[in-house]
Amino acid sequence: MRKTGLQGLLAAAVIQAIVSTAPATAQQAAPTSVINVATIGEPPTLDPATTTSDVVSIITQHVFETLYTFTARWEVAPLLAAAMPTLSEDGKLYTIPLRTGVKFHNGKTMSADDVVASLKRWMEVSARGKLAAPVVESVTASGDTVAIRLRQPFAPLLPLLAMNNGAAVIVPFEIATAGSPIKEFIGTGPYRLIEHRPDQYIRLGRFDGYVSPKGTPDGYAGERKALVDELRFAPVPNANTRVSGMLSGQFQFADSLPSETISQFENSREVKPLVAGPSWPFVIINNTKSKLTGNPLVRQAMLAALGAEDLLTAAFGNPKFFDVDGSIYSAGTIYHDSTTPGYNKPDPKKAAELLKRAGYKGETLRLITSQQFDFMYKMAVVAKQQLEDAGFKVELLVMDWASVVRQREDPNAWESFTSYNTFVPEPSLLTFVNPAYAGWWDTPEKAAALDAFNREMDPAKRAELWKVVQRLLYEQASTLIVGQFRNLAAISAKLDGYQPMPWSAFWNVSIK
Amino acid sequence: MAARLASRLLGMLAVMAFVVTLTFVIVRVVPGDPAAAMLGNEATAEQIAALRARLGLDRPLLVQFAAFLADLARGDLGQSIFLDRPVLVAIGERAELTLALTGLAIALAALIGIPLGILAAVGQGRGRAQVLPTLAMVAASLPSFWIGLTLIKYLAVDLRWFPVSGYGPPEAGFLERLHYLILPATALAIPNSALILRFTRLSMLEVLQDDYIRTAHAKGLPSRTVVLRHALCNALTPIITVLGLTVATLIGGAIVTETVFGLPGIGNLVTSAVVRRDYPVIQGALLVISGVYVVLNILIDVIYMLVDPRIRA
Repeated sequence: MRKTGLQGLLAAAVIQAIVSTAPATAQQAAPTSVINVATIGEPPTLDPATTTSDVVSIITQHVFETLYTFTARWEVAPLLAAAMPTLSEDGKLYTIPLRTGVKFHNGKTMSADDVVASLKRWMEVSARGKLAAPVVESVTASGDTVAIRLRQPFAPLLPLLAMNNGAAVIVPFEIATAGSPIKEFIGTGPYRLIEHRPDQYIRLGRFDGYVSPKGTPDGYAGERKALVDELRFAPVPNANTRVSGMLSGQFQFADSLPSETISQFENSREVKPLVAGPSWPFVIINNTKSKLTGNPLVRQAMLAALGAEDLLTAAFGNPKFFDVDGSIYSAGTIYHDSTTPGYNKPDPKKAAELLKRAGYKGETLRLITSQQFDFMYKMAVVAKQQLEDAGFKVELLVMDWASVVRQREDPNAWESFTSYNTFVPEPSLLTFVNPAYAGWWDTPEKAAALDAFNREMDPAKRAELWKVVQRLLYEQASTLIVGQFRNLAAISAKLDGYQPMPWSAFWNVSIK
Repeated sequence: MAARLASRLLGMLAVMAFVVTLTFVIVRVVPGDPAAAMLGNEATAEQIAALRARLGLDRPLLVQFAAFLADLARGDLGQSIFLDRPVLVAIGERAELTLALTGLAIALAALIGIPLGILAAVGQGRGRAQVLPTLAMVAASLPSFWIGLTLIKYLAVDLRWFPVSGYGPPEAGFLERLHYLILPATALAIPNSALILRFTRLSMLEVLQDDYIRTAHAKGLPSRTVVLRHALCNALTPIITVLGLTVATLIGGAIVTETVFGLPGIGNLVTSAVVRRDYPVIQGALLVISGVYVVLNILIDVIYMLVDPRIRA
């Protein structure tokens, strides 16, 4: 007989109460070594192909693996692939050798068929995969290799395959073909999913059958060892609670902490602060479809009106957390370019002149921001003042982030919004250069520059071609770079072997 | 008595129907949708639209409402978009924590508030008892989140007597989990105990001036008997009201406290569902919460009738 809703509710509550009332010994034995990580919230899914959410990447990269990954210098390196691919002379055929004997968490050995099915799923469901899909002609298996044939040379393919969000994770054939998001979380990673209790914890346990890649650990590449019994990720949305949880010793790692709390960690013997790069670009994205900001002169006037240093100071306070740097990529990366005309040179008179030339008649510039990201809101308040000083009429639209994402889809509903882009090793993955992304920057010059960049395979030449895209970004002011920023994280002094990377990984990490 | 209860029940059902409709409309009128929240910051409008279609969120509002009502009639509150489980199961999983937290907070609040309220009334105009109403006013004005953060700072971080956040590790038994609830329950109990103190004091002051109390004193009954047996029993009605409403509020979700302490209770479920725009969970949880209000209000009515024969008449 089917249970009624009320019966179901009562049954769930009663079972829950009985289970949790049982003494600890009657339940599972406590593992001997556990790393407790406080995350910023509950992940929206555990399928890393279907989202670009950072919290999903941080957790699921321990469970799922991709064919390639990144070194600490952001070079692509093999992970489930046995080596770098061989590339045909015309740049259209990638032949990828696979590692043999790799086990999934269900005991099955990974095959080329699993890889092909997973890559096909990735191209259907992933925001990253959909960028590659139009260029990919076929993906085929042959023995222990996989061949990807392209319609045209496409340099971002390997970085796309190596990303751990919107990730091209390899799962068993039967899971890859059973629909998305996946329901069974079976990967090849050093940890396997034990239990997921939404809003409470996600438990990952050491996978004894793990077959690691070889080599010295280097960023996400090289040998991976599961050195603790369990990783536990607990959603702790309140940033101050994450700080307290670290200081009290309840958690061994937490990130996205308020920058003003750094002194508490600097004064602690048990917890150390981490302010690690690479930095992320902090931006104001302009709507090129709006009547007002569709005019490049108006966007140029915005650039002339804004003083980045004031905006960054308002947003982050402590200079440890930001660089007044208008390059899209931070210093130290191959794509850094210090040619940033007009950046951080606030000149209200020049802005007013540009507005006059644009025929500005006092139309309202609607700037969307969110208090969910405190630094964005603080920056937007100062930006509003600076724009008004230059003669703009500005309306600040403050809403929660889900509303921002919805509102920005409507080209008639806004002129600019505050945002940031998590670090992406491949420039073509930056949201604000994607013509389909809110802002819709899609001029012929930019399309040609990006196409040339995407076709070029030589890294040094690519770096030069990226400078053209950045120059156009400044000329057309489609997105205004506010600067580069870094997050504050904290780590227990008891953890050993942690390598700071943008998406914190805990393989090769042990407890002293 | 039965007719009175039936009339209350009908009124409450109408309230619930109103809540269901209003919630359904409001969650869909505000901007934002689950597809955007699921896909992350880097999704394009086309990708969001495709997922909306797959989730059935692009159907006309009336069609969605009709489907929701049809499911509701079968006792099915739907499937959470994010949690990948039925809404009722998601609520059931959090019911234990919320009930335990509510029970502990109410017990603490009543244990502090009622005796101090009686003391404040009995000692009206005399000595230290005069300070109690002022203290109560201060305690009632303190926001729970501030109390929570202060307790965390001193008792969890500095002294390490209590954990900061969560509801215990998977292997924890009930007693260990209770340990996780002491700080949040205290944070909730302090302002509520102040409320209970004030109601108890006012109610007792009123009763203590009645003729039958003077008669009891004149008959030579001990003061303790007069206060606890004769006065308190008759002063209980408003105290029961405030206790009942506090229980209802806490079961509905001690939202801020649960967020500060990272507790996976019903309040946390509702807030995260709102942030994620998980429509079925928002609707289902609010329906259950309004149901709890209805039941508790009726229970309060029944208790009134039991303790006060004048209402029964």
